[in-house]
Formats: sequence, C-alpha cells, structure tokens
Amino acid sequence: MLDDSDVRAALVAALSGGGEFAELYAEDRRGRNLTLDDGKVEDLVSGHDVGAGVRVLRGRQTAYAYTNVLTRAALIEAAKVAAAGVRGEGRVTTTDLRTATPPVTHPAQIDPLDADGPALVALVREAEDAARSFDASVRQVTVSYADSVRQVYLANSEGHRSTQSPVRTRLVAQVVAARDDVIQTGFEGPGGSVGHELFTTHPPAGVGRGAAEQAVAMLDSIPAPAGEFAVVLGPGGGGVLFHEACGHGMEADIVGKDASVYRGRRGERLGTPIFTGVDDATTPGGWGSFGFDDEGAPAQRTVLFDQGVCTDYMSDRLRAQQLGLPSTGNGRRQSYAHVPIPRMTNSYILPGEDDPAEIVRSVQRGVYCRQLGGGQVDPASGDFVFGITEAYLIEGGELTQAIRGANLVGDGPTVLGRIDALGNDFDTRQGICGKDGQGVPVAFGTPTLRISRITVGGTG
Amino acid sequence: MSATPGTDPTDDLLALLDRLVDRAQPGEGVEVYAVDETETTIKAYGGEVETLSSARTRGVGVRVLADGRIGYAYTADLAESALDETLQQARSNATVATPDEANRLASADGSLPVLPQIYREAFADIDPAQKVDLALQLEAATLRGGAPVRGVDSAQYGDREGTAAIATTTGVRGAYRSCEAHCIVEALAEADGASASAYGLSLGRLPTDLDVEGAAAEAVERVTGLLGGRKPSSGALPVILDPFAAAAFLGVLAGALTADAVQKGRSLFAGRVGEQLGGAYLSLIDDGRLIDGPAAAPWDGEGVPTGRTALIDGGVLAGYLHNTYTAAKEGTQSTGNASRAGFASPPGLSASNLYLVPGDADPQALLAQAGSAFYCQNVLGVHSGANPISGDFSVGANGRMVRDGVLAEPVREATIAGTIPGMLAGLVAVANDLRWLPFGVAIGTPTLLLEGMTLGGA
Repeated sequence: MLDDSDVRAALVAALSGGGEFAELYAEDRRGRNLTLDDGKVEDLVSGHDVGAGVRVLRGRQTAYAYTNVLTRAALIEAAKVAAAGVRGEGRVTTTDLRTATPPVTHPAQIDPLDADGPALVALVREAEDAARSFDASVRQVTVSYADSVRQVYLANSEGHRSTQSPVRTRLVAQVVAARDDVIQTGFEGPGGSVGHELFTTHPPAGVGRGAAEQAVAMLDSIPAPAGEFAVVLGPGGGGVLFHEACGHGMEADIVGKDASVYRGRRGERLGTPIFTGVDDATTPGGWGSFGFDDEGAPAQRTVLFDQGVCTDYMSDRLRAQQLGLPSTGNGRRQSYAHVPIPRMTNSYILPGEDDPAEIVRSVQRGVYCRQLGGGQVDPASGDFVFGITEAYLIEGGELTQAIRGANLVGDGPTVLGRIDALGNDFDTRQGICGKDGQGVPVAFGTPTLRISRITVGGTG
Repeated sequence: MSATPGTDPTDDLLALLDRLVDRAQPGEGVEVYAVDETETTIKAYGGEVETLSSARTRGVGVRVLADGRIGYAYTADLAESALDETLQQARSNATVATPDEANRLASADGSLPVLPQIYREAFADIDPAQKVDLALQLEAATLRGGAPVRGVDSAQYGDREGTAAIATTTGVRGAYRSCEAHCIVEALAEADGASASAYGLSLGRLPTDLDVEGAAAEAVERVTGLLGGRKPSSGALPVILDPFAAAAFLGVLAGALTADAVQKGRSLFAGRVGEQLGGAYLSLIDDGRLIDGPAAAPWDGEGVPTGRTALIDGGVLAGYLHNTYTAAKEGTQSTGNASRAGFASPPGLSASNLYLVPGDADPQALLAQAGSAFYCQNVLGVHSGANPISGDFSVGANGRMVRDGVLAEPVREATIAGTIPGMLAGLVAVANDLRWLPFGVAIGTPTLLLEGMTLGGA
C-alpha cells in the first residue's frame, strides 16, 4: 500500500521534533450502506476513503496529524505537523521495518463486494418481507445493510510493519408495531468480521422476523412497575450492561485518570465467585475482532474479572506505559482520522452451569429482560441507567405480563456482587460503541443471568 | 499546524464542483457537495498537553437523480479519475433505488445568501501556542476549585475552521467559510468515599471568545453540588430542569418534530398541527441564521437558505422541520433543515439552532415558585429511556432537592418518568437564562419548571 522508503522518511520527519516514538497508520476503505425504509430503497451509498495519520509520542504527550493524500510529500508534511506538536530534544532514530504476523486472522469467505446493487436490495427485501408478514400489527420496517473492505497498513519507529485486510458485514432490522394506542419497536442487528457468509448463519428473513417478534410481543405490555426487584437477563440481552457498567471503567485511560470506580481495585473481589468477565479480540469472525489492534499489538483474550476478582485493565501502548502494565492489545481507532485509545473488542460474561429455565423458575416476583436498550454510565461513580426494550414480569417462577417503559438503574460494582446465577447458554449482540468522538464495532455476550436485586425505574 | 490552502479555498472547491456538474448527462440531475476543513483538538492533563491533534478533512459527495431515483457516492480522493468514478458510482447506485416523485434537488436562480458573521478572518492569525494555553488554563482553573474537586477527567480545547461548497445542475452554487472554538471540562470530585463528575463549557467563534474561567467554575459548582447524593423517595414532585438537563430532553423533541419522523409515522406530533400542547410561554423555534447559535449557516446541506421556523408557538404546534424531499411530499417549502454529517453522507433532516424562547424570571424565581421540587442537573439514558414515538420516557437523573424554594440535599440514582405530551403540558415556568449547548444538534434552553412528573428512587 505504501512504499518503504516513503514510510521511513515520514517516520524520520515525525521524530525530528523530539518525539520518542512515531507511527504511521494508513487506510484504504471501500464501503457501502443501503437502507430500505418503509418499502423504499432510500439510499445506496458507496464510498472510497483513503488517508494516513502520523502519531508522535513523547512522555505523556501525543501529537497527531492526518492527511487524505498518500504521496511521499504529503506524508512527510503530516509527519512534520505532528513532530511540531511535542517538545523536547530529538534523539530517537527509527529501525528497519520488519513484517509482523498477526496471531489470528479473520478472512472473509464470501467477498461482500462481489454482491452488486440488485443483490444487496434482494437481501434487505428478504428481511423486510419476513418482518411484514410476521403480524398484521407491523407498521414500519427499516432494514439497513453495511459492509466495509479495508486495507490497513501500520509501521512504527520500533520497526513494526503490518498489513491487514479487515472485512465487516452487518444487517440491521428495526420494526415498529402498533395496535390501538400502543406503539412498540423491535431491533435485531447481527454483524461480524466476515463477508456474506454472515447470511448463512443469520438469514435475512430471520433477522427481520426477530425484530418483528420483539415489537409485536411488546404490544401487550403494561407500564413497568418501579422499585427493587430480582432481575433475570436473557442470553446476550444483558451484555450491554456489562460493557457499559463494568467494561468502560476497566479501560486503562479512564483508570489512569482516576475517573474509574475500578481504579486501585485489582486483586479485590468485587463480583460473586461465579462471575468471570473477559474481553476477547480473537473470537473468529467476531464483530469486534482483529489480528493486530490499531497500533500493532497482537489480538488477545484479557480476563477482566476472574471468579469475581478484578484482574486486568484493558490498555493500549500509551496507558500501559503510564500504568506500568502490559499492553493488552486494546488500542483501537475509528479510522485514520483518529488516535488509538483503549477500547473494548468482544466483551463477554462467561457462561455458568445453571439451567436457564431453572433460573427463571427460581424467581417468585421479578423482571425478565430479554433485551436491554442503550445505556449510559458515569465511570467515576459506576452509576448507570439502561433502557429495557423487551421485558416481562416474573410471577411465581413464570414469565407473565410484558412490561414497557422500564429501565435499570444501579452501579457496576454493586451489580457484580449481586450476580447470583449464570446459565449454561450464551449469545452475543453487536453494536457501535462511542467514546471520545470515535465509534468502533464492539460485541457483547452473556449467558442467562440473575441479579438478586436492582432498581427498576418504571411508570406503572 | 496544518497545510494551509494557498488561494481562497472557496474558489478552489467551487471550481472542482463545477467540473463535475458539467459532466451530468442529459436528463440527469447532479448535486456535488464538498467540504475542506481543519480541526484542532488539545487536551490538557497534569499541567501538560496530553494530546494535540490536527486534522484536515477533504472530500466530495455526489448525488445523482434520474427518473426519480437517487444514488449517492463519495470519495476522499480528489484526483480527476477518482471523481469520475464517484460520479459513475452514484449513477449506478441510483438504478437500484426506489423511484419517488418527491425526490428532487433544490433549485436556485441566483446566488445563495451569505452569513459572513460565522467566519472571522482573525481565526487564521491565532498562534497555536495560544490554543495550548487555553487548554492548560482550563485544567488549572478547574483544579483551583480546591476540595472536594479531586481531578479533571478531560480539559479540552477544540476548534474547527472550514469551507463547505455545493453546486447542482439546478442552479444552486455557493460556498461559505465558518469557524468555531469551544472548551469543555469534566471535573471529578469526591467526599466520604462517593464520587461525582460534571461538565462545564464555553462556546464561541474565536478562541478569544471563550470564557475559560467560567467553564471551570461551572464544572466545579455543578460537581460540588452533586456530592454525597442519595436516592430520593419516590413520588409525584415538580421537576426543575437546568439548561443541561433540559437540552437533553429537547434533543428528543428535535427528532420528533422533523417532517421525516412525522411522515413515517414515527412521531408523537404527527397530525397535531394547530393543537394546544402547552401554555402560552411554550415556544420552540429553529433558526439556522441565528448567529449566536453554534449551528448557524447561510444555507443547508442541499443549498436551501436557512431561516426561522416556529415549531411550537405560544403552546400551539405550528409545524415541522423540512428538507427538500419532505417538503415536496407535502407540497410545501423546505425550511432549510437538510443536514450533512460530512461528505460521506447524503443529506438528512435535523434541527439547526433549536431553542426554547426564554421567559422573564430568573432561575431562582422558579425554585421559589416550586417550593419543593427536584432540581435535575443531569439526565442519563435519555436516548434509550425516552421513546420519541410513544412519548413515554423514564430516565436516570441526578441533581438536588429543592426545599422551601432553595437548593437542598444532593440526589443520585433517581429516575424521572412521564410522557413527552405530559411534560409539555406540565411546563409551568420558563426562566431567562438561555444557554446554547451542543447536544448533537445545537440546543438553546433556559431553566424549566415542570409539574406532573414522577420521581423514582429508593
């Protein structure tokens, strides 16, 4: 993608201002988005983006500059801009570039770009038809398709050079169902570091039907009660809670700034002994997977909580140095226009040994959440709020009435200490996680799990 | 700090757009939109620059309209061959799109309006070192707040300077420059083992417009008041939303008041124009030409002149926001609210500068009027917890209790539940402290007093 001598020249220029480390990240991205809304193909958008970013580090300082132009002159110009962003005596030199091999790759079996416009339209129509034919109450269906095929190049002043060819494909269905005055929504959005083999494991019709089922089920809902309840989270549906309420606070930049409730708590038992949480970038074809992270560290599986004990933070190069810990390969960026920062990849609560049905039967009065919605967390206190998109009352060990308008309110460490049952099942969800203005693909996975007590905010 | 354009950047971009528009085939409409902008972000931490980033983004997006079908393609590669390929790709994408007679390009027969106040020549003369100083001062001023402030999570200076240009086969042709600067700080505080965080910010056109001390003081004051919060007891209680909390709610209204949401049956306001939604002091305006608003621009993402649109006027629902497509569907005029999320996205529809018209009372008077209330300073989960279709919401909140008309003990892990219509009808007083905040779109709102909400807690 880039010529070695151009890259060397840019790295030398990047270190001319006193930087201790320089890196060049270049990207060539082709991607398409297609939205089918209310039966209409609204937009088929295709794009080609190219660019390179030069990062210079010195102590705790970072300088970054990027350009859309990949000529030798433009790369050196960007490098000089970045070089001027740090202050100090120049002394570091670059070493010869050596090609690094990733520990794992995620090759696409079926190249998305082999599917032309009409083929993509057929995919989203299949999902739409399935959603519409599910029930007469289905009013609106939106299906969107996205793919990206990238060439990513990375080189740094320590001699790392690597190339990767990440491919991602995703299909999202959103359904609105209405009956009388009640309007409810459903959502399903599988995706992965895969090509169109995604549609073998997740046929578009199943995606559309799944979103419709959720919306239609909630039409019979009543306003959720408010108060403290035992809550059972369905497989995968509670992953976003672990991501937001525990994961973000375990990211090393937040820890390093003393803005995390998990700071200084490594080795401490925060969760119940049945609870183990990991972040795993190596999952084959996972939505948040990669071979190298976006600063060249190999993908790995990091244990965040081991049988309830807070273990490792997720870090990138810079924060690992600052905290005196190893990098865990969590340095990620949205694109060449962004600096890498510590991010989750695929974060999971590992399954336990309980029968999921038995977990529900164990609750006399509580709430079963099949799917949580978006959430928000204050990492300093661990306080969080999550909307619940599909939930039911549990009465006498049985799912009874669907409930709506509820949310879960609590704080991360307290909830970890109240996970008292884990199912032997497991499922994942995919999303785009936003942090510091950067969105990156992340996955969350959990078994069925029970939280002994948590505040449910409702209107009923 | 970054490559500076040699000549007037507006001329360069327009020349490039003209070349593409000239390549339109007979019977086909072509719209070309380009941006070229430079952003600088500086984060201070521990008394030094933690991150300095300088970014130049340049790209072109092409829409082709043929037989009622629209296709879009974009490129960051501005070489002639890449631009040709992009035009061809947009043409090809149009062939699979569903035809819709409301699809059309904006048209103009003359020059587009200008809004020169949104660019300041002085921006180019500002020394990068001055921007670095602002970030460092912001952090230092926040830390000077003393205990219980224990740190600063992020003290950031940012600015953006750029050119947007558009040209179409339908006579639209224009370019404008704009600039903005902002600083935002998040203070962390701790007392008795409990911690809290809160933001302070300042917005302007030039770095010299920014009130760094004010932003720091705001973060310190807000975080200090939140410390030691406990769950409130549940019950019906008036709620006072400070401008930060009110802006989060208005963000939900902003989406529901677009004609796009209305036409697709995704808005609780559909079919209700002319209905009384609230009291006479409830007026919600969108004004893309308001230069005090952070989103001010002379024309929108399709080249339609921006202007003032009353959405709720004296409590009565007056209308919706339109782009060219939604306007054509209803046989009305675009309100100039086509949005662009950069060159990689076709035009959408969103509010520009959306504000709630301020009243006469100062915020203290609202507290006195309420007597007992929950003074809400932060809402959490408003995008997941507020349903813009049904209007139901239940969101997390923190803030203070109001007792005997004054701020009392802090509150955390509260929930506020209600419905959007109930909230609008329950708006009983609007203060005079209008504040602009960047909540996705630019939102301006004063402190609000609402009745008929449910506060949830322990």
